[in-house]
Amino acid sequence: MASLTKSKVGSARMKTFYAILIPVLILFVAFNTFPLITGVFYSFTDSKGYGAFNIVGLLNYADLFTDTRVLNSYLFTFKVAVVATIFTNVVSLMLAIALSSKIRFKSALRGLFFVPKILGALVVGYVFSYLFTWIIPAMTGTESILASPDLAWIAIVVVLVWQGCAQTTIIYITGLSSVPEDVYEAGALDGATGWNKFRYITLPLIMPSITTNMVLVMKDMLMVFDQIVAMTSGGPSQSTESISFLIYNNGLAGGQFGFQCANAVIFFVLIAAISIIQTNFLSSREEQL
Amino acid sequence: MAGLSLEHIGKTYPNGYEGVKDFNLEIEDKEFIIFVGPSGCGKSTTLRMIAGLEDITSGTLKIDGRVVNDVEPADRDIAMVFQTYALYPHMTVFDNMAFPLKLRKVPQADIDKAVHEAARILDLEKLLDRKPSALSGGQRQRVAMGRAIVRNPKVYLMDEPLSNLDAKLRVQMRAEISKLHDRLGATIIYVTHDQTEAMTLGTRIVVMKDGVMQQVDTPSKLYSEPCNLFVAGFIGSPQMNFIDATVGESAGKVTLTFGANTITVPDAKAAALKPYVGKVVIAGIRPEDVIEEHEHADGKNLSEPIDATVTVYELLGSEAMIYGDVDGGSVSAHVSATNPARTGSRIKVAFDMDKLHVFDKETEQAVVH
Repeated sequence: MASLTKSKVGSARMKTFYAILIPVLILFVAFNTFPLITGVFYSFTDSKGYGAFNIVGLLNYADLFTDTRVLNSYLFTFKVAVVATIFTNVVSLMLAIALSSKIRFKSALRGLFFVPKILGALVVGYVFSYLFTWIIPAMTGTESILASPDLAWIAIVVVLVWQGCAQTTIIYITGLSSVPEDVYEAGALDGATGWNKFRYITLPLIMPSITTNMVLVMKDMLMVFDQIVAMTSGGPSQSTESISFLIYNNGLAGGQFGFQCANAVIFFVLIAAISIIQTNFLSSREEQL
Repeated sequence: MAGLSLEHIGKTYPNGYEGVKDFNLEIEDKEFIIFVGPSGCGKSTTLRMIAGLEDITSGTLKIDGRVVNDVEPADRDIAMVFQTYALYPHMTVFDNMAFPLKLRKVPQADIDKAVHEAARILDLEKLLDRKPSALSGGQRQRVAMGRAIVRNPKVYLMDEPLSNLDAKLRVQMRAEISKLHDRLGATIIYVTHDQTEAMTLGTRIVVMKDGVMQQVDTPSKLYSEPCNLFVAGFIGSPQMNFIDATVGESAGKVTLTFGANTITVPDAKAAALKPYVGKVVIAGIRPEDVIEEHEHADGKNLSEPIDATVTVYELLGSEAMIYGDVDGGSVSAHVSATNPARTGSRIKVAFDMDKLHVFDKETEQAVVH
């Protein structure tokens, strides 16, 4: 009797689980998995995004490796992503340490530093575009770096770091708060202060946060898009064309739908591979607290 | 090793709360001092002030004659063992123990020698390559000890180091710490709320309450001559019996009356009670000094018999505890396991009057032991 009641309860619980799970699963498949599979399919075609198309096999993939514009977009994207990821993490960690110390208005300052996260990337991009186009040149008497094919990427990095720091800082603050206070106290008695405290205690013990941030920030930076749209539209001279921007621009407006689908598939595989390598490499350095 | 001097030490928090008030203590070289008291009494705060982990609001702290109020923890030449062990989770046992020496730029050969010597003393030699997460509680505790030992500090501070261990391991580690003290000849300041640890380990015990030092004395003196009601109740388990009694005088003898019972105070204690004639005092007697009629009482100076009804009987193995009601109060008594008294029994008990304590009801200070 007892087992019968138990099984009835179990069955009702399973029904609830399915009632929650199935609608979400349908939405996920419809708006994520299906478009992904469709995209992979179109990557084997010469589709322009409209009208009839032919299956071309691996031709798009072969062409990707010889297309200078595509290769330049990869070089630009990786350069920006690596530099921005390093700067975002370094700046965020410094901010997190400062915001975790015994200072006044700590909560208010933490809120303030999170503001860039809640602002739209396009809005931030346009504001910084104005700053780099008009204000900084007026103050320094120089040309806008957005007009320079060699320097425009730096402006993109500045905006990415400024906005990326918000979430990254919060994750570092959480990581720092998880380090037991008595470990720091033991360190203080052992002589670990200042740089030694950071190097030998803090840094090894926040490795889980570093892993999370490195993976998330790298992924976000590789997918840079909004800031490019708002600040440079890929210019000058296509010098700031990111992969996402190129896929969008040429895929939807340039008649290269099939070709850019192949680009997107390669890009997806690359990001997944980088994330897995980063996670495996960094998690091997994590310690259980 | 070194002595310590705490002169008028006080700790006031920003919200005005006084954690420690006017704490004065001279600690001799090689002493094993225990700070004991209930939670929130200020014992850990005092220890942390000695360590340099808390600022000293007022007073002077000297280690080996040098004022160290404003000296960084690392420069005080002290080592501390924490309740939670506070091991570095990312380092091996060897690295945990070597860390303080490494930061002091001690040559690697000397580090190896010091760590292996400490590991040998603490039986950690086979665990040197393990990380703390792969160790048991007792092993972690020993690593924490090892980290302190390798530095050969002037003073060892221990903040409830055994409270996270199970009962059996605690007894074992207690003995280890005692042996370690003998072996190192170290000055140790040890915080605990466990009076058994305090009584068994300390050369002197500091009893604290509400940030105020109540009494400093040897374990035996603290037990036999508590200075006030708090110390009398805190030291000793089961705790001392307390009964409100009226002091009287008849036929030249001083008596204590509670309910229908009147007991005669021995002449040696009577003089101190004369000013209290007609007043209510608190009589204190430890359970082992309450003698049930079937127990041996040879050579004891027993009071008049007192009727009691047993309310609780607890067999502890080789002995038993009985808790009973008497007219005017309640008492607990240690009895042998063969004693026939059981719950509901009507028995007679008597107090060993040489062991009677009397406390002033208003000031709670001891009047006579």
